[in-house]
Amino acid sequence: MRKRAAFAAARFGFLLPLILVLSACVARGPFIAPSMAEGARTSVELDATPFFPQDRYQCGPAALAMTLGASDVTTTPEELVPLVYLPARKGSLQVEMQATPRKFERLSYVLSPNFDSIVAELNAGRPVLVLHNYGLPAWPKWHYAVVIGYDSARDRFILRSGTKRRDEWRARTFMVAWHHAHRWAMVVLRPGEIPVNADPRLYLQAAADFERGARPEAALRAFDAAVKRWPAEPVAWIGRGTAQYRAGRLTEASQDYAAAVRIDANHAGARNNYAQALLELGCPRRAREQLSAIDGSSLQSPLREAVSDTRVQVDAAVAQTTADSPECTIPVGGY
Amino acid sequence: MRLSLWRKTSIAILSVAMLNLGFVGATQAAIVDTAALVTTDREADLSTVRAQLERAEVRAKFEEMGVDATAIDRRVAQLNDRELHQMAVDIQNAPAGGDVVWIIGAVFIVLIILELTGVIDIFKKT
Repeated sequence: MRKRAAFAAARFGFLLPLILVLSACVARGPFIAPSMAEGARTSVELDATPFFPQDRYQCGPAALAMTLGASDVTTTPEELVPLVYLPARKGSLQVEMQATPRKFERLSYVLSPNFDSIVAELNAGRPVLVLHNYGLPAWPKWHYAVVIGYDSARDRFILRSGTKRRDEWRARTFMVAWHHAHRWAMVVLRPGEIPVNADPRLYLQAAADFERGARPEAALRAFDAAVKRWPAEPVAWIGRGTAQYRAGRLTEASQDYAAAVRIDANHAGARNNYAQALLELGCPRRAREQLSAIDGSSLQSPLREAVSDTRVQVDAAVAQTTADSPECTIPVGGY
Repeated sequence: MRLSLWRKTSIAILSVAMLNLGFVGATQAAIVDTAALVTTDREADLSTVRAQLERAEVRAKFEEMGVDATAIDRRVAQLNDRELHQMAVDIQNAPAGGDVVWIIGAVFIVLIILELTGVIDIFKKT
């Protein structure tokens, strides 16, 4: 008996320092603080974010309605349930959470997976929709919530979550739930807004997704912001050109396409769209120059079909006219 | 054959409408959507073939999963080819955010304790 107690004590004596050592290893400072420098703020609370308490299983529609509401979209969870709720899964999927803002003339952007991105968005006045996991990796329990603020002095995030209008989370606890949900965080953007830490490729993907079904004027704002932020990205210019084209402004469209071609002379998409705009401006010969610069051997669908369509139209126009319109000799664009 | 004025007018309107359709179709086809330029070429090539099949597949799955019949069309329509593909592949298993389930909280606390004691350290790799 005595021997056993001694053994237990010895074992405990061995464990105690181990636990202390382990805890010491991980004694870390506040988590939110380091990212404060850029915004020069210690706390933010986007109190104007509307609050919708969720119904059973319906945190997806509720969180999305709050995030959209903060972006001046008037909607309710009830309106969003038919668009994002999956009865058999008793929840909402990320894909549809991302797709739905487009219905309301908003872009959605998935943030890079770190606190800095969340804090930067809060500083910019945008609440952040996050996915949490309150279960285990093998037994997940997913939940959507909206981060509306932080307090770096107390190392807390402030959330609208479930039925709670204001829910404070320690940064570390937040990280556990967020990390096990693959650190997924999304913001809703008005056309023309770009996230603080945005990656050009991901933003342009979001803008291109938005373009389909958006009014040309709205798409124009989204790509115009991209042109200003990343002037060396050909796709930003192409997107803006296509918005101009769809709004019926052919000269502006051709200037943007020309800018894209100047950045990347091998960009078949830019040259094809440029040729189409030139054709409609009455310059089929200049359009033909653009098309002959395309290396047709490596084109994939749907670009391949578009290029051959444009070529047929351009050749027909060249055959029907003796010369391009006089304005075509003036260089298009002044870059 | 004599046509009534009403018929003549409708034929005229329809003919103009059809001409117009053809014209719009031809010019629009030659401008490439920006979306086709941001995905890699290989993806774009596959997706045009795949998208038709997947649209039908996702529609069937929505129905199976209890989505209201009147909403299915709107939901399929709002997805682009890439998203349709994700849904077709993963609709059964992708994370579905739903509820705060506090029974599970006990398990979650274990994770937090593991984190606090440094057994797992998820902050290291940001």
